[in-house]
Amino acid sequence: MRTDVVRMYKDVHTWVGIISGLALFIGFYAGAITMFETQVQRWASPPVALSPAPAIERTQELIDKTLAARPQAERQFQITISPNAEAPARMMWLERAPGASRRDPAPVFGSTLAADGSVEIVQIVGTEVAQIVDVLHQQVGLPLDHEIAMPIMGIICLLYGIALVSGTIVLLPSLVKDLFAVRVGKNLKRMWLDTHNVLGLFSLPFHIVICLTAVVFAFHDQFYDVQNKIAYGGNLAAKWEEGEHHDPAPRGPVIPADELLRSVQAQAPGFRVDSLRYGKDDEHGLTVSAWGEDPAYGHRAPTAGWVEVDPYTGKFTETDYMPGMQPAGFMPTLTSFFSLHFGSFGGPPVRWAYFFMGLAGAMLFYTGNLLWIESRRKKERKAGAVTQSRSTIVMGALTVGVTLGCVAGISLTIAAAKWLPGRVGDVAAWHSWIYYLTFLAAIGWAFARGAARAGWELLAFAGAMTLLIPITSLLAAAGLPGTGWSYRHTILVDLTALAGAAALFWMARIAYRRVESGPRDSVWGEAKARAVPQA
Amino acid sequence: MSTFEYTSRDWFGKASAGLVLGFGLALALSSLFAILAPGSGGGKLQVTMWMASPIWVTILGFCFLFRSGRAAWGWLGLANGIAFGVLAAVQP
Repeated sequence: MRTDVVRMYKDVHTWVGIISGLALFIGFYAGAITMFETQVQRWASPPVALSPAPAIERTQELIDKTLAARPQAERQFQITISPNAEAPARMMWLERAPGASRRDPAPVFGSTLAADGSVEIVQIVGTEVAQIVDVLHQQVGLPLDHEIAMPIMGIICLLYGIALVSGTIVLLPSLVKDLFAVRVGKNLKRMWLDTHNVLGLFSLPFHIVICLTAVVFAFHDQFYDVQNKIAYGGNLAAKWEEGEHHDPAPRGPVIPADELLRSVQAQAPGFRVDSLRYGKDDEHGLTVSAWGEDPAYGHRAPTAGWVEVDPYTGKFTETDYMPGMQPAGFMPTLTSFFSLHFGSFGGPPVRWAYFFMGLAGAMLFYTGNLLWIESRRKKERKAGAVTQSRSTIVMGALTVGVTLGCVAGISLTIAAAKWLPGRVGDVAAWHSWIYYLTFLAAIGWAFARGAARAGWELLAFAGAMTLLIPITSLLAAAGLPGTGWSYRHTILVDLTALAGAAALFWMARIAYRRVESGPRDSVWGEAKARAVPQA
Repeated sequence: MSTFEYTSRDWFGKASAGLVLGFGLALALSSLFAILAPGSGGGKLQVTMWMASPIWVTILGFCFLFRSGRAAWGWLGLANGIAFGVLAAVQP
């Protein structure tokens, strides 16, 4: 490799990295949490006062009685096979105001059969905290309208793509020498560089996948719009409909829900059905799809695949997104793109692997920023400066404040899920405010205190906020009045948060020692430098 | 004749060519796939859309290997011209 090419790409890598690194940290950290979106949602969902779900054989009776009481539910409702905290009723539906769009929030209702066979209907006040973390992930933390945030996220992902190409080119000449060496010691820049290289190289395939898929998630509308003009002669909308034929007229009696379920299970034995989703409109008539998982295959949605089922025969009508039954060709290829981003294949082991790869990705961007700061310090030192320049002070404070503010904010807003219901009106808005105020306060703190002291202080703060998650559950389990709820089956969420808090406290301890003994001209040794008395 | 050395000085010329003409080339090549490759249906429409991403990102990543911003705009412009020319010729 020519040294001038390496030098050029090193400059490129530095600049795209420093521009996109902090946003990518937020995307990756929040993304790691979304690997367990379902579990967090379950942990955070308040219990609902509702009689237990009836036997699955009585599902059709439940549907008929509910629809008699609430005819508008017929347009769209869901039958959950095993109701749980995040989907607490066997039958659930949204009640939209007339004329409201599909994206508008609407109250959720659930129903079950009481002991006397009468239908019991309650409004279900769920939680949106998992969704809020997911949006942080998708929009790399930008509190903007989705339509505005996504192109910005896309541009950050393009920079990320350039960073992957340039970083690999820069590493190539010294690959063999550097690959298995993480030189921990006096030379801190060397250590961070070795760590950055190991993380970057070994997770390069993961990063390539995440980058290319995220560019699609950001720009798919623009890609389709241009292709519609130059490839499809403006007929894209018609092409989507090709080969589809709808017949809204009923074709005989509708098969009862429990028989429909058995029919799905017979046609796809490995597929664990989580829910049946019913829909009815003038164009399609009655439609049913079965949603669920088969860990032997990849899934198109983050946590599920689905199959269209004929409600009159019980036969599968479309298996385009059905794990293991996709027609050969384009569809399985597409599903692999999605599932490689979502980690929605292989079940829990892959989710854990993705969780740690997401955290490792966040560390890659964090170490990248540290390298920028350390390199500048060395450069400036060589040029004769004994104090830090404004740019390293600012970047040091931003790096510490943004990353730890994100960690602390997500933990605190998750913990708040068990405290907010019943105390405030708009719970979802409170979740957002709690995150962003914590995030901004951490950045403010980092600027006020300097990166060195704020580093260990904010690590300890983030640890404390994360510790609030298991403490909240513990208080509720102890039965203290006004403390929310605690589920035995979501204890893994509490234990994971406990481990996370322990890791943050451990890092805070290391960072504290670093402040005491680090180089005085470093942004990380600032406090000591100031504390040295004049001799 | 002095030997040529790469520097990051002309980054804006190269990167802007990669961004703009890379987008054009990615869309032209994926559209050629849409028209010339066998198959049809929703799956192909989606795969065609997905193809734009790796092409665009690859061009952006490697556009710095052009010797100058002018060269980047020239060569990528030429590639766009050819790709869109072929696309016009094969329009159904």
